[in-house]
Amino acid sequence: MKKRIPLLLVLIFGIAGIIPYYSQYPLVQNVQSFIRNDMIRIIAAFALVLGLGSLLKVHFDKIRRHRENWEYSWVLILSFVVTAIIGLFGGRTGGGMLPTSIGSFVFNIQVIYENVNVPLGSTMFALLAFFMASAAYRAFRARSLDSTLLLVTAFIVMLGVLPLGNRISHHLPSFVQWIMDIPNVASKRGIGFGIALGSVATALKILLGIEQKWLGGTR
Amino acid sequence: MSFDFWIWVSAFLTLCVFSFLYKDNPFYKFAEHLFVGASNGYLVTIIWHGSLWPQGIRPIFTEGNWWLIIALIIGMLYFTRFFPRTSWLVRIPIAIVMGYGTGAAIPATIQADIMRQIQGTVLTPQNFARWNAGSSGVIWTILLFIGVACTLSYFYFSREHKGVLGVTSRIGVVFIMIGFGAAFGYTVMARISLLIGRLQFLLGDWLGVLQ
Amino acid sequence: MKAFEYLSKIDRRIIYLVIGVVVILPLIFPTVERVRVMAPAQSLFNAVDSIPEDMVLMIDFDYDPQTMPENEPMAVALLRHAFKRRIKVAALSLYVQPLALALKALDQVTEEFNARAQTSADSIIYGRDYVLLGWQPPPIVPLLEMGISISNVYSTDYYGYRTDSLPVMQGIENFNDVGILVSISGGNAPLWWVGYSQVLYGVAVGAGLTAVSASDFYIYYQTGQFSGLMVGMKGAAEYEELVESKLQVPGERKASEAMPSLTAAHLAIMVFIIIGNIGYMMRRRI
Repeated sequence: MKKRIPLLLVLIFGIAGIIPYYSQYPLVQNVQSFIRNDMIRIIAAFALVLGLGSLLKVHFDKIRRHRENWEYSWVLILSFVVTAIIGLFGGRTGGGMLPTSIGSFVFNIQVIYENVNVPLGSTMFALLAFFMASAAYRAFRARSLDSTLLLVTAFIVMLGVLPLGNRISHHLPSFVQWIMDIPNVASKRGIGFGIALGSVATALKILLGIEQKWLGGTR
Repeated sequence: MSFDFWIWVSAFLTLCVFSFLYKDNPFYKFAEHLFVGASNGYLVTIIWHGSLWPQGIRPIFTEGNWWLIIALIIGMLYFTRFFPRTSWLVRIPIAIVMGYGTGAAIPATIQADIMRQIQGTVLTPQNFARWNAGSSGVIWTILLFIGVACTLSYFYFSREHKGVLGVTSRIGVVFIMIGFGAAFGYTVMARISLLIGRLQFLLGDWLGVLQ
Repeated sequence: MKAFEYLSKIDRRIIYLVIGVVVILPLIFPTVERVRVMAPAQSLFNAVDSIPEDMVLMIDFDYDPQTMPENEPMAVALLRHAFKRRIKVAALSLYVQPLALALKALDQVTEEFNARAQTSADSIIYGRDYVLLGWQPPPIVPLLEMGISISNVYSTDYYGYRTDSLPVMQGIENFNDVGILVSISGGNAPLWWVGYSQVLYGVAVGAGLTAVSASDFYIYYQTGQFSGLMVGMKGAAEYEELVESKLQVPGERKASEAMPSLTAAHLAIMVFIIIGNIGYMMRRRI
C-alpha cells in the first residue's frame, strides 16, 4: 500500500496531465483548472517550505554537533530569520504591520534583496570568468584534428560576435551567424532528438511505475 | 564615490565573494552563508504573500472554498518526511505534483522537441524559403539535413563505426565539434559578461569612476 | 626550454590579474563601439513592434542575480520599447527569485519615462500601462492555465489588486490576447513556454537568453518556434541599439558600454589559449 497508492496517483495524475493536449471540451478544461489551481498550486507551495525545513534542520544539526564551520550556520539561520520577519510582517515592498523604514532609510525585503542577494549571487557567478579563463588556458589543447576544429570555431565565434569582428571583416559576423544557423543547429538537433526520446521514455517509465527511484526505495 | 549605506553593503559583500580568488577565507564563508539565509528569507516571504495566503488559506474563509482544505492537508503531508513512522506519506503529494508534470511533459516534448524539429529538418519548399537566401537556401537546408543525419549516426552505438556508418559518423563528429566550438565561444562571452556586470557596479555605482 | 615550460605553467593568479585589468581598463577609459544588429534580435524587435493595440506583451522575468548582467539589459531595452510604443505589458515570473529583479527593471524604466513625461498621458502608470502579475507555483500552472484564463492563475497581482479590475487587463482574457510572450531567462524557461503554452495554445514566444544557452536554443529559432532571440550581452546591446536608433529612446546602455571590455577579455583569453598550446606543443617535441 505504501508503494501502490503513490504509483496509482502518479498514473492517474499523469494521464490527467496528458489529456488537455487531446481534448478541449469545457468539462475537461474545468477539471484541469481545478487540478491546477485548487490542488497542484497549493501542494507545490508546501514543497518549497519543506526544502526550507530541511535546510534549517541540517544547519541546526551542524551547530548542535559542532561540525566544521558550524559558526557560519548561525549566520545562515539569523539572516534567514531576520529577512523572513521583515518580509512576512513588513510586506513585499513595505506597507505591512512592521515598519520597514526609519526616516529616509528603507530596509524592506525588496531593498534587502537588491543590496544583499543580488551582489552575493551575481559575484559568485562572476568568479566563473576567472576560473573559465584559467581552465581554458590549462585544458584547451589542440591535441587532434577534432579539437583543433573546435578551437578554431570557438575563436571565430569569439571574434565574430563582437564589434571588433565587424571591423575585421563585414562578412565575419554573417559567417558566425551561419555557423550558429547550420552546423550548430545540425549537431544540437541531433543531440536534442536523443535527449527528447530519452526524456519521453523516462517519463513513461515513471508514469507506468517501472521507474520507482523517486519513491525512495528500489523495485 | 557613493555614500549610500546600501551601496556600501553591496560593495562589501561583493568584495567578500571576490576574496575567494585568493583563497577560501572567513569573509567568503560569511558571505556564502548570508546569501543562502537571505535567499530563503525572501523565498518564505513570497511563498506566503504570493501563494499560500491569497490562494490557499484566505479563499477558505472569505470565499467559502472549503475544498481547498483538502489541498492544504495533502500539502502538509510533505512534513511527514521528518517522522520516520509516517514518512511514506510524503510520496502522496510528490506523486500528485510529479505525476501531473511528467504527464504534461510527454506531449510537450514529442511535439516541440521531436515533431517540430523533424519538420524543420526535412527538405521542403518551406524550409528552403526559410533562409530568405534564394537558391542558397536549398543548399543550406540540404547541409542541415546531412548534418542532423550524420550527428544521429554518430550516436548509433549498436554497430561498429565502419564502412558507410564510419563515414557518416565521422562527418557527424565534424558537425558536433563545430557545435561545441560555437557553444564554447558563447560561454566565454557569458562568463565575462557576468564579471563586467559586477565591475560596472563597483566602478560606477560605488566608486563613481565610470564616465 | 625553460621559457616554453613556463608558457604552459603560468600561475592562475597572474591570469586572474590580467583578466581583471583587461576588463576594468575599457570601462574606465570607454570607447564607443556600435554593434551590428543581427537577424535574431531584429526578428524579435519586429515581432514586438507589430503587437496589435488590443493585445498585450507578456514578459516572463526568469533570471536571477547570477545571470543579471546579461539578462537585465535585455529586460530594460524591451520595456523601453514597449513603453515608447505604448504597448501594454504584463510581467510575471515562473520562479521566486526573479520577481524582485522584475520589480527592479520595471521601476527603473518607469522612472526614466516619468522623469521625461510632461502629462499624465505621457507617463507610465501602474495598472494602466503595465501590471506585475507575480508568481504562482509550480511553473506548469501558469504555463498551461493562462491559455484558459490569466485571472484564474493571477486573481490578484503582485501588490494584491484584483487583476480583472486593472485597466491594463481589460479585454485580456488568455493567451489569445497576448501578442507575444518574451521569456528573459538564465535557464530553460523559454523552452517550457514553447513546449507547453505554444504547443497547446499557439502563443508566439520570443526569448532573451544567456549566451551559455544560445547554441542549444538556436534549433527552436530555426524552426520558428522562437519568433526572435536576444543572445547574451551582445544580443542585449543589439536590442539597445534598435531601441535607441529606431525609437529614439535615450537611457543608459549597460550592455553596449560593456562591449569594449568584452572584446579585450576575449582577446586576452584567446592569447592565453594560444600560449598554452604553444607551450604544450613545444613540450611534446622534446
